[in-house]
Amino acid sequence: MKLLTHNMLTSHVKGVTKGYPLLIKATEVKVNEVEFNPKFVCRMIPKLEWSALVQAADQLGHREELPGELVADYEKNEDFLKRVHRVLLEVEVIEGCLQCPESGREFPISRGIPNMLLSEDEA
Amino acid sequence: MMEEAASQLERDHVHSVYDKIAPYFNDSRYKAWPKVRQFLLDLPLGSIVADIGCGNGKYLHINKDVFKLGCDVCRPLVDFAWSQGHEVQMCDGLRLPYRDGCFDAVLSIAVIHHFSTKERRIRAIKEMARTLRVGGRIMIYVWAMEQKRRKFEKQDIFVPWNPNPHSASGFNGDDGRPRRRATTQSVSEAMDGTENPRKIRSTSSVADEEDVAQTVPQQRTQRPWFFSRSLDSVFDFGSLAISWPSSRDLRPLSSATAANEGNKPNQRARGRGLIKQVSSFFSPPSVIGSEEDVFDPDTDKQKGQNDSEAPSNPTNGSSKEHKGVSVSLVQECGSLALPDLISLQQEHLKQSEDQRVRGPLGREHQEGTQSPEGSEEHAEASCLRYYHVFREGELAELIEHHVEELHVLHGYFDHANWCVVAEKVQLWKI
Repeated sequence: MKLLTHNMLTSHVKGVTKGYPLLIKATEVKVNEVEFNPKFVCRMIPKLEWSALVQAADQLGHREELPGELVADYEKNEDFLKRVHRVLLEVEVIEGCLQCPESGREFPISRGIPNMLLSEDEA
Repeated sequence: MMEEAASQLERDHVHSVYDKIAPYFNDSRYKAWPKVRQFLLDLPLGSIVADIGCGNGKYLHINKDVFKLGCDVCRPLVDFAWSQGHEVQMCDGLRLPYRDGCFDAVLSIAVIHHFSTKERRIRAIKEMARTLRVGGRIMIYVWAMEQKRRKFEKQDIFVPWNPNPHSASGFNGDDGRPRRRATTQSVSEAMDGTENPRKIRSTSSVADEEDVAQTVPQQRTQRPWFFSRSLDSVFDFGSLAISWPSSRDLRPLSSATAANEGNKPNQRARGRGLIKQVSSFFSPPSVIGSEEDVFDPDTDKQKGQNDSEAPSNPTNGSSKEHKGVSVSLVQECGSLALPDLISLQQEHLKQSEDQRVRGPLGREHQEGTQSPEGSEEHAEASCLRYYHVFREGELAELIEHHVEELHVLHGYFDHANWCVVAEKVQLWKI
């Protein structure tokens, strides 16, 4: 699971109103090399919940000096874009779990795949 | 109660079937439907797109400039998609784990026809709409009731799965087309076993099968499949009655061609429990054809539906196949608690009737006759997949009347599917 994906994921346990962002507890993390496309990263940034991204990167120990808040004119800042690129696309959680911040329910991640299936009573 | 029955039906006749047949699906080089591919290619750079019900992830490699993620309930398929380098999750279409409005585009290709009630189909569409941003687009493909040459007679059907529709030598001989290689070499070899050197056709959806059917040779396959009453209608208590097929009800369809030499897939009849529960669920079925045949390879091929860029994967079972299949299914049916769940063909009329008459006793007989093959073909078990096939206009209507947050942009018929592209709109509540 990449952090870009994580940025979209939310807990949907019944009754939970603040299920986002999910806390990451990783037991295995991989860093891959992914082709850098600055335009792609630029377009992606406005779609992100920035603070959730920073928090997630922090939890994995891969914060990459990302600022707590988006700086202005990031489009031209290639160094910044590269760091965002790394955090979004290169860092991957292979094993671990995602925890609902409100209910504490844990969704396992195994073999890189988060299992977000709910049981009957949770849905 | 309806909800439970619906979800049980889907567990038995969608989820567990895909779990079993997933190994035969994992050829990710299966081409995408051209219009779906185009939809993806048209997305602006940096878009985020979700393939809801992504199966083995065959659409997830299209367009490197957009971020794609996929999800599905079927673990083996999702595992395969991940092995191809895609971002995928396990989840349920009725409860998507994504925040509101986070996607620029959503795909739902041959998925919602597996939901067994209208209400669930609506919910699935609404869930996808929820995750779409305003202005974002969704493309939905569902099996069409109306096919090129014929129509499904009912909208709620069970279709048997046959992983190896081609059989070896025989009446129709080799169709001469190279078969697409399954990526799981060992599985296909095991399957082909003593039969033939051809690899297994793999497919992840009806859309694929359709795709494949384009290149199919002239031989037509017929495979029996089953009708059911829709769950929506079953809970209308006034209409609860068991209907029994009679010979008059048998409607001959276009003739099957050859002698039987093919596999005799075992029908797992996992739906047995549910079948017991809802006894009026089934009404007399009639054979309409194989899963591939729904797309009528002859006509489709001749009409030069070449835009499909179909892979040279000949699927379509040879017709020798169908007799075997229908016989075994008929035999299998004898083992079901409800003997009226039978697929009948004119040629097997007598045989079928015998089976029917035998009723529950047929079980021992059937098990006896099938056991030698049963164990060999364990891997080829025919599973019944539930589909609600859509009438023309039904999908667009469903959205127009029940999903106000989506505005239908256009609808069309693509091979064997009804398709809709819709846009998420901002709703203003006064």
